[in-house]
Amino acid sequence: MAALRNKSDQEIKDLLDEYGIKHGPVVDTTRPLYEKKLKETMAKAKVTVTKPSPDRTFYREDQEEVTYVTYQTPVSIDYFSCLRPVFRPHVYNTPSSSSYSKPTPVVKSGGGVVKKENTTSSGRLIPLWVQFLVFLILAGFLYFIFTNMESAESSPFNRIQ
Amino acid sequence: MSTTSQKHRDFVAEPMGDKPVTALSGIGEVLGKKLEEQGFDRAFVVLGQYLLLRKDGELFTEWLKDTSGANTRNATSCSQCLREWCDAFL
Repeated sequence: MAALRNKSDQEIKDLLDEYGIKHGPVVDTTRPLYEKKLKETMAKAKVTVTKPSPDRTFYREDQEEVTYVTYQTPVSIDYFSCLRPVFRPHVYNTPSSSSYSKPTPVVKSGGGVVKKENTTSSGRLIPLWVQFLVFLILAGFLYFIFTNMESAESSPFNRIQ
Repeated sequence: MSTTSQKHRDFVAEPMGDKPVTALSGIGEVLGKKLEEQGFDRAFVVLGQYLLLRKDGELFTEWLKDTSGANTRNATSCSQCLREWCDAFL
């Protein structure tokens, strides 16, 4: 980020508001304090954002087929000494294969960051859409079984042949 | 409630007028000199800074530590002193 010292008082004030830092007027006696606080906050923000997740690139290199290997945290630590605990799913087992390929292209840092934000914001072990998919498949399967059973005459699901 | 020093009680008991900066609780000779060098030669100037920081104890404490090299205990003491003074007189 550009040198805070060269910014105008108004710009400092805007930055403080942006980061949600409580502050008073930016005057010559208060300015050094606010510059320091901004520097700390920006350094902290930069650390959490620019941490790509290397396991996403692993996904890509794997065959499109189904089972995914467990990704252990030591792998990510080798790449980047990550400060934030990284969320890792253990095993992915899906019956359908082709529909499973990741929709977004995995570019090293950019895509990885977006992916990371998505998973951690929902905080699920298995992505939501996978859960829906599995649920739908299961429901369809049960329905299929139900309709094909030798059912009694009073069954509501009998088809009119 | 933490026990307050006599200095604190004296300061909070009356309007500060032109009292020197060393009259503030937590500010002794050394810190007082450092503050005077920065232009804060009277207690009311430090009060001015406290008010500029919107009477936020944390911000003020941080500022005092940065400006005068005060430790956390003295800075907090000064902050509390000013807060109570403001509650009584501002």
